[in-house]
Amino acid sequence: MNASTFVRPASAAREKYRASMSMHAMAVGCAMAALLVVAVLTPGFISLPNLIALTGTLSLIGCVAIGMTFITLGGNIMSFCLGATCAAASMLVAHLSDAGAWLAGLAGVALALVIMVVQGLVIGLFRANPLIVSIASLSLILGVTQYVAGGQTIYVSGDALSMLKSRVLGVPAPLLVFVAAVVVGELMLRFTRFGYKLILVGSNFEAAEVGGISTWRTTVAAYAAAGLFTGVAGILLAARYGSGSMEFGVGFDYSAISAVLVGGTAIGGGQGSVLRTMFGVVFIAVMQSLLLLYGLDVQFQYLLIGLVVLAAILLQVRSKS
Amino acid sequence: MIKSLSVLWQPAFRPFLLLGVVLAAFALMSGGPGVFTARGGFSVFQHFATIGLVALGLGLTMLMREFDLSVAGMMGLGGCVAVLAGNGSAATGLIAALAVGLAGGLLQAWLMVRLRLGSVPVTLGGLLTFVGAAYVVTGNRSIPFDNMEMAIAINAPLFGFMSVRALVVVVLFMLAALVIQFTRVGRDLIATGSDRHGALIAGANPDRIQLGAFACSGALAALAGAMLSFGLSSASPSGGVADILVPAVAAAILGGISLSGGVGRPLGIAAGVLVLCVLRTGLTTMGVAPYVHDVVTGAILLAVAIADGPHLRMRLHQLGIPRKAIAVQSKGGMI
Repeated sequence: MNASTFVRPASAAREKYRASMSMHAMAVGCAMAALLVVAVLTPGFISLPNLIALTGTLSLIGCVAIGMTFITLGGNIMSFCLGATCAAASMLVAHLSDAGAWLAGLAGVALALVIMVVQGLVIGLFRANPLIVSIASLSLILGVTQYVAGGQTIYVSGDALSMLKSRVLGVPAPLLVFVAAVVVGELMLRFTRFGYKLILVGSNFEAAEVGGISTWRTTVAAYAAAGLFTGVAGILLAARYGSGSMEFGVGFDYSAISAVLVGGTAIGGGQGSVLRTMFGVVFIAVMQSLLLLYGLDVQFQYLLIGLVVLAAILLQVRSKS
Repeated sequence: MIKSLSVLWQPAFRPFLLLGVVLAAFALMSGGPGVFTARGGFSVFQHFATIGLVALGLGLTMLMREFDLSVAGMMGLGGCVAVLAGNGSAATGLIAALAVGLAGGLLQAWLMVRLRLGSVPVTLGGLLTFVGAAYVVTGNRSIPFDNMEMAIAINAPLFGFMSVRALVVVVLFMLAALVIQFTRVGRDLIATGSDRHGALIAGANPDRIQLGAFACSGALAALAGAMLSFGLSSASPSGGVADILVPAVAAAILGGISLSGGVGRPLGIAAGVLVLCVLRTGLTTMGVAPYVHDVVTGAILLAVAIADGPHLRMRLHQLGIPRKAIAVQSKGGMI
């Protein structure tokens, strides 16, 4: 056994990895380009009302999807309670909107942080099954919010959150928030130790542990990041509807994980980025908007999203093997 | 004394012990015995019929260490297909729903086996696709079921406390228990869940078992949806994670199915489902608000998730909990 025995497999693996990365980037790029060409050729797509309507949902789902990216990257697949967490945060924001937008927003983010950090602790410390923990948390969140709010919708007082409905130089404020979230998320992944550790924990848990990484701290941090971005989405939700209700969060988990997978983040963890998730979000939003413009009913969007996610999952395997 | 107690806490006995505890608690509480009246019993078995089959299907896949998320979507799709195809004759509707369930389950399992994929990603895609398909076939509307005789017949009380719908579920549970206990397929399923590679070497065919388990799971979920929609005499598309997946997972786990596969039996799952149904009916007859049930289910599920966590013992040891206590806990055998 000489040194090359060790070197060769590693470099081969890296080449393979690069090949799969470039193949994947190509697939996403081609799909995006094709979609954009169709979009530009579609009459009515590049109209201001349509684009503004597009950015509304896109920013909301986008923030939740960024949160989901951290969970998926760390090897914990997905969470079923981000939608409920987001809705609960929006209710708290609406409830506290008397006291000023900043305080209400901070409280909403804090609530989402606490909910997710507790789950992160359970999953990180005991290595409990992340799916089961998220399903249990969903049930707990629904029950507790029902107890606290009595099933009512809570309205935002006055125009406390009008800041988020304004436009800066013609760009809707929620879109700016989403772009900021993408930048912050991507920086967290690329330029912090937390980001490196998260990728390592996600790609090989045992190796990370042996390598001296405190895996439970990384897991907790990943869930905290998820809580942070979900809380931000909660503020956007409250601002958008002028109220907070558990109904608004239904289906966010599905949309978020769809965006993460379509963007090309590996479902097994360890490979992906916030930037990819952003592409996934834009891809799905543009696709939905196009379907509507071509006169197809809402139900076809649901089916198509299911099929696209399935295709994304199958494509991942192909590029891996 | 400790030894006999720990035998009772074995996974095989745990669900029945829990069921006994829950029943005893309601019998002793004031206002609790509402569960034991004919109406209370009927209500328990109606809930049982709704989530029982989904829990059984999910439990079968969990037995072989996989996880079928798509049951929540398949239940809705099965209901919609059954009502759409069954407005002429109910039998056609049932057969159509079963066919869709079988096909959906088989297709997913084939993708997993063929492409060596994990069950969670594939069934996540399946869940979204089935929910979408349910929206498309119904045209995003609620579909009425015109066959009122069928709607009444399927919920008609038998023996005072059980509907036809519940009886079908009970029979299917018994069938599943017999197959798992006494046939080679059953033993192969459990062997695959315990150690897939070992099962392969011992002569089982894990791929075929996987196809069978997911086909069963899909068909059972579709059947549950079909019977529910017939009983409600309408079907509407939805992908209820909160109202289907949560109780089904909770029931399977309470029923002694381990998250690490190979442990648990169908009758245990039935007991787990009953625990949840008795809790729900009992709390309702006592006048407790519905959200308490959500909180209780969530708390139980979270507790089991923690207790099943592979690192729990290590953390307890780090906290300085004496070894003896840990040893007793491990003898209780979560895994």
